[in-house]
Amino acid sequence: MRQEHPYSGPLSHWLYGIGIGLALFTGFGQMPIYKRYYLTDIPGLGWAADFYTTASLHYLAVALVLGLLAWRIGLYLRGVRIRWLWGPGTAWGWILFALLAASGLMKVLRNLGLYLPPPFIVTIDLVHMGSAMALMFTGLGVILSRRRRREKPL
Amino acid sequence: MKFSPTRRQLLKGGLAAAAGLAASGIPRPRSAGAAVGEPLCTVLDISRCIGCEQCVEACREQWQETVPDPVEPMPKPFPSRVPIEDWSKKKDVSDRLTPYNWLYVEHLSLTHKGEEVEVNIPRRCMHCLNPPCVDLCPFGASRVEKNGIVRIDPDICLGGAKCRKVCPWHIPQRQSGLGIYLDIMPSYAGNGVMFKCHRCTPLVAQGKLPRCIEVCPEQIQSIGPRDQQVKKAVALAKQKAKADGAGEERWRDYLYGLFENGGTNTIYVSAIPFHEINRALKADRAQWAQESGIKAPRRAKRAALAGRPLMGPVADTMAEVGNLTWALALAPVAGLAAGLGRLAAGKGGRKGGER
Ligand code: SF4
Ligand code: SF4
Ligand code: SF4
Repeated sequence: MRQEHPYSGPLSHWLYGIGIGLALFTGFGQMPIYKRYYLTDIPGLGWAADFYTTASLHYLAVALVLGLLAWRIGLYLRGVRIRWLWGPGTAWGWILFALLAASGLMKVLRNLGLYLPPPFIVTIDLVHMGSAMALMFTGLGVILSRRRRREKPL
Repeated sequence: MKFSPTRRQLLKGGLAAAAGLAASGIPRPRSAGAAVGEPLCTVLDISRCIGCEQCVEACREQWQETVPDPVEPMPKPFPSRVPIEDWSKKKDVSDRLTPYNWLYVEHLSLTHKGEEVEVNIPRRCMHCLNPPCVDLCPFGASRVEKNGIVRIDPDICLGGAKCRKVCPWHIPQRQSGLGIYLDIMPSYAGNGVMFKCHRCTPLVAQGKLPRCIEVCPEQIQSIGPRDQQVKKAVALAKQKAKADGAGEERWRDYLYGLFENGGTNTIYVSAIPFHEINRALKADRAQWAQESGIKAPRRAKRAALAGRPLMGPVADTMAEVGNLTWALALAPVAGLAAGLGRLAAGKGGRKGGER
């Protein structure tokens, strides 16, 4: 049976889940689709129609995820080896995070007023959206396969 | 990569330059040609505008045909509440912004110091320094060029109208039934293309003046390098303030666009304070709403404002998001420090964990 190290406990797991969930929700919410598809009519979700709110929440959610991942890297560098129950577990996962971070960084700089050539912005927008979608589907795949494994114990 | 001098940073530079301006005269308008690639800013002295609308005509003549007609019949959007916006049969509308009309003139009468005065104000995109329509466009369709022009690429725009929603003046206007969304999932995503003033991008690229500037019989508008133009606008505003009996130090009241939304590349100068102009604009919209026959007051108000922007104070829309950059920068540092540092050492010195 898998032993759990204190760090891989439920708190970081929950925080990570909330961070990723909110980042994906507010990220996809940058496309004008939530209002169109009545999502913002659901009581309590009206804020999702405001693009400034979703952009700010996206920043905060990403800060949370970055903090957690950096913490994990810090532990790793210190020689603490943990089998994490959350976060990227494969090279593919880390590549997606790297792509998201690099393209996201460009967008953050642009939002501060940095001039970036327009075709470059189109590219980073596509990379950001594409890797977010890939991350979402990979994540869902991992969660579902874990469930299945749990249902049918070895 | 480098910080473009066209944007927010430059605003500050421009203002610093303006501070030491006292002795200099007002620079003459210069051709945009000399300034290709430089950040360009327009200054409009609306006290000289006679409201002849030659600028509007010139803009329409030059650009209306570049906006294609929509396909017939237009794809039915799903869900059905998604509005089709079709201006293709109303191309003659010139008293508001539409996809086929990127500039209109506001004709206003108001009472200033007990006297009835006429004010004419040409209105179009402000070409903000850090435009939310660009920053928040999810597809990179809306963009800032090196020379400070903000334009929407019609080949990329999907017509979701987010730019109009986040623009403090709600400038871009949608034409449904054209553009790339037709080739993707026309009923389920996208709804046309957004259009607005691109400050005559193709002409400016050839070193020519924008049409509305070129044809104006009163030469109320000039275009040139931003720092020069800011100096000029501030000097002019000081003159106006003095002439209005308000005192030079009230010059900010006679300017619009220099500070709005964190700074724009369109600076209006007026002989009447802009808060008075805005009050008159609001009254005009309220009257329009009342006469529109639209029953629901909120809908009437929205209709009155559509394509007819006000001139109220506008805070820097991207400031809040920008301030959160600190959270993004600090979070990984804090996380790394926590992982490397004492915080974790107490509990988990166990190397090798549970592998
Ligand atoms: S052409 Fe000049 S004077 Fe005539 S309406 Fe336009 S800006 Fe005003
Ligand atoms: S005025 Fe509106 S459309 Fe024009 S650049 Fe600013 S935010 Fe964009
Ligand atoms: S700058 Fe060009 S596109 Fe913009 S309003 Fe003037 S004529 Fe029209």
